[in-house]
Amino acid sequence: MLTEELQNSARTLGEALSASQSVQTYLKAQANCGADLEVVDLENRLLALYQELFGRQQRGEALQRSEIDAYNTLKSQVHQHPLILERDAALILVKQTCSNVADDLNFPLGAEFAALSQAGSV
Amino acid sequence: MNIQTPIIANTELNTRADQAARELGELLLHTPEYQAFLKALNAANINPAVQKISAEMRSHQDALRWSLKNTGEHEAELARLETEFETLTVIQDYRLTEEAVCRMFAEVDLIISQAAGVPFAANAKRSGCGCGG
Repeated sequence: MLTEELQNSARTLGEALSASQSVQTYLKAQANCGADLEVVDLENRLLALYQELFGRQQRGEALQRSEIDAYNTLKSQVHQHPLILERDAALILVKQTCSNVADDLNFPLGAEFAALSQAGSV
Repeated sequence: MNIQTPIIANTELNTRADQAARELGELLLHTPEYQAFLKALNAANINPAVQKISAEMRSHQDALRWSLKNTGEHEAELARLETEFETLTVIQDYRLTEEAVCRMFAEVDLIISQAAGVPFAANAKRSGCGCGG
């Protein structure tokens, strides 16, 4: 159980990140994607196709070249959509912001907070 | 002036986040869990059995890296040494403190991420290990 001081400090950091331009831009881009029916449909189709092909491959089934081509075509369609491009670009900036902030967090610890916390997540 | 305002505002926000991160790092450093982790890490580092097995493991890893034949012997010996390493009391103590720190950090990350609106650790992660390397 975390102390109240730790909880408050973690919340303060989260709120400061939330107010940063990169996170705000990303959240807006993510909302734009979520509100666009074409983007939602494209991403759902890509995920479903990926899960289907991956599942079959895991079961030892050889995939047809045409199926892999169809997957790659859909994937590039998804990654070329302007709203998704915008969200992906915004996510890169979020990652930079989080990495830079994590450097400050890691410094007193002498260890990488992100890697340790991910190892402890269930 | 109109162009500069958002840039200044953003810099202030980043400074706020950096400051908050440093404060959180200091708090985490002084928790009993993290202090126990550092103590166990130090105990492991100076333990002669740990040093001996680590050196032997490194020599087999080097052999595997450079040799193309007889890799099976090195792999088997490396696996045996890894098991021996993990059964050392000092390493088991270290693993327990490491688990406690990982759980605590995961809880902290959850709070940061919920307040930020984006997953923090997942976006901040640079490498696969916890040593910063």
